[in-house]
Amino acid sequence: MIQIHRLNFSVGNFALKDVSLHVEPGEYFVVLGPSGSGKTLLMECLCGLNRIHSGEIAIDGRDVTRLEPRNRGIGYVPQDYALFPHRTVRQNVCFGLETAFLFPSAFRRLFGHRPEESISARVTELIDSVGISHLVDRLPGKLSGGEKQRVALARALAIEPKVLVLDEPVSALDEQTRDALCRQLKRVHRSTGTTTIHICHNFAEMMTVADRVGIIHQGRILQVGTPQEILQRPNSTRVARFVQAGNLFPARAQNSGPWTVLNGTGAMQFRAPAAEAATIDGQVTVMVRPENIRLEASPPENPPPGTTVLEGSIRDAVDLGPTIRLSVACGNEGEELEVSLGKKEYHKRQAGVGDRVFLLVAPQDIHLMRE
Amino acid sequence: MNDPLSSETRASAPVTGWHGRVFAASMMAFVVLFVVGLMAVFAADVSYIDAESFAHVIRSPEVRHAVWLSLWTSTATVGVGLLFAIPMGYALSRYRFPGHAVVDSIVDLPIILPPLVVGVSLLVFFYQTSVGKWIHEEVLEFAFQHQGIVLCQFLVASSFGIRAIKLTFDGIDPRIEHVAMTLGSTRAGAFFRVALPMARRGIIVGGILIWTRAFGIFGPLMVFVGTANSNRVLPTKIYLDTSVGKLETALAATVLMLILAATALIIVRIVGLRQR
Repeated sequence: MIQIHRLNFSVGNFALKDVSLHVEPGEYFVVLGPSGSGKTLLMECLCGLNRIHSGEIAIDGRDVTRLEPRNRGIGYVPQDYALFPHRTVRQNVCFGLETAFLFPSAFRRLFGHRPEESISARVTELIDSVGISHLVDRLPGKLSGGEKQRVALARALAIEPKVLVLDEPVSALDEQTRDALCRQLKRVHRSTGTTTIHICHNFAEMMTVADRVGIIHQGRILQVGTPQEILQRPNSTRVARFVQAGNLFPARAQNSGPWTVLNGTGAMQFRAPAAEAATIDGQVTVMVRPENIRLEASPPENPPPGTTVLEGSIRDAVDLGPTIRLSVACGNEGEELEVSLGKKEYHKRQAGVGDRVFLLVAPQDIHLMRE
Repeated sequence: MNDPLSSETRASAPVTGWHGRVFAASMMAFVVLFVVGLMAVFAADVSYIDAESFAHVIRSPEVRHAVWLSLWTSTATVGVGLLFAIPMGYALSRYRFPGHAVVDSIVDLPIILPPLVVGVSLLVFFYQTSVGKWIHEEVLEFAFQHQGIVLCQFLVASSFGIRAIKLTFDGIDPRIEHVAMTLGSTRAGAFFRVALPMARRGIIVGGILIWTRAFGIFGPLMVFVGTANSNRVLPTKIYLDTSVGKLETALAATVLMLILAATALIIVRIVGLRQR
């Protein structure tokens, strides 16, 4: 559906370098990266708002690299929504449909299959679908952030785009509104089936909406995969840090029968399945997600084969609402592991700060990276 | 789903202590000083003339002609000035090209130059250069003609409009036009349907600046269009009356000019700059 091949573009000292990306038809794809990583620049290139230096962009198999933005069939919702301040909400939503009257090809595309339906009826339907019917006569200056976002979404959807690009659509909103709007975006995506690219820097936001995700950093795509793949199997420490891997530490890998033994500093000794480490030997980075560590108040009697058992004491406990994040000191060299427990489970364990505990890490929950 | 936050609920001014009020008062003191000072000067003009001589002056055919000539030429200059100022302001704001800074500075030159120089330069151009002579003989005669008044006013005043409109376009985020382009507009369509309506207030301000400047000049006109009765705009008339000692007539014309200018500016501000 969307094929970006070896795209290069630079502005000032920043450059998008050899960016390649493939987005499937009807997919909800998230481009996730920290501020200044080039997400917006990449989307502007996709929309035709930046003339790229080299590379190709194809949509539905058609090369659009040199097409004007209006001919790409992309609905764009920029970060600050960029509503037209001199037009009311209804007039904003109408904008693309009015423009279609000036260009026969656009008119045929938008009105050819539903000629009987007026602009007004179509706009009313869209406005109702995103829940802004009470705002139609207002100017954008009188709207809240969430309302603006929905107007911008309706405006972009009005032209029935092949691709919808959402640039940090909810980043300026409070958490409650953000969650509600993310769910709405997902509903709109399901009902329209429009291929959607959503840019964000928020991990939780990505998890709410993404079918697949691409991690971008310093103008390069580092990894593409499902949220679970990215979460559990990041391909580099940079990605791991960005997806809040929690426990990352260097170790030396050594094969030993069915296991690869990982010797970190002090007490940090783990076992991973040999297959996990088949292509990696020598110095590696070990990742253990905090939610994959089991905590016991007493020594486990028969841990499953290969399970790493570490003894430590709880140094710190942070209440994050539904979960508790513990820092557990293991060994004498000050190594710490982060453990995430459901609140109920934590209370069941009856473990508090300063208590001795035992941490169990299953071999399949250990992920190794070359760096 | 209703969002609780709306700009309608936003407070119009923050809470301030005594130092905030002192600060505001000191700022306002300058406003009062300037306005009162200016009004005092004009009041002196008004006090110098009596109603009878004022009525006599405004009934005079010469003054009526000068008023009419000043009004229509200044208004025509606004039309021509905006015709240039809008595309120029947009181009200088949106496009970067070699020599941008030089061009930007050249646009401001008429603001710095003494207006008289414009009149002299125009005379030299139309009588001493081949291009000027060709225009003068084959296209349109400007020197000592009413259209020459518009040309002088345009050259002296349009820079103010260009500068105001460029600053307005600078303040409009180009991404708003970019969004219009993704919604089916061409670059020109985005300009006419988005940037231009958004720049409405700046364009009106630019027009006001051009009009006020054009309405008040006389130096280049005395050189380029002369002082014949038919070519006298109101400022020229005031200058000539003053120079021959007809102070009362000059001041009556000045008061008339002030009334006309203030009325025009207030109407444009109220109608044109009204919030939607």
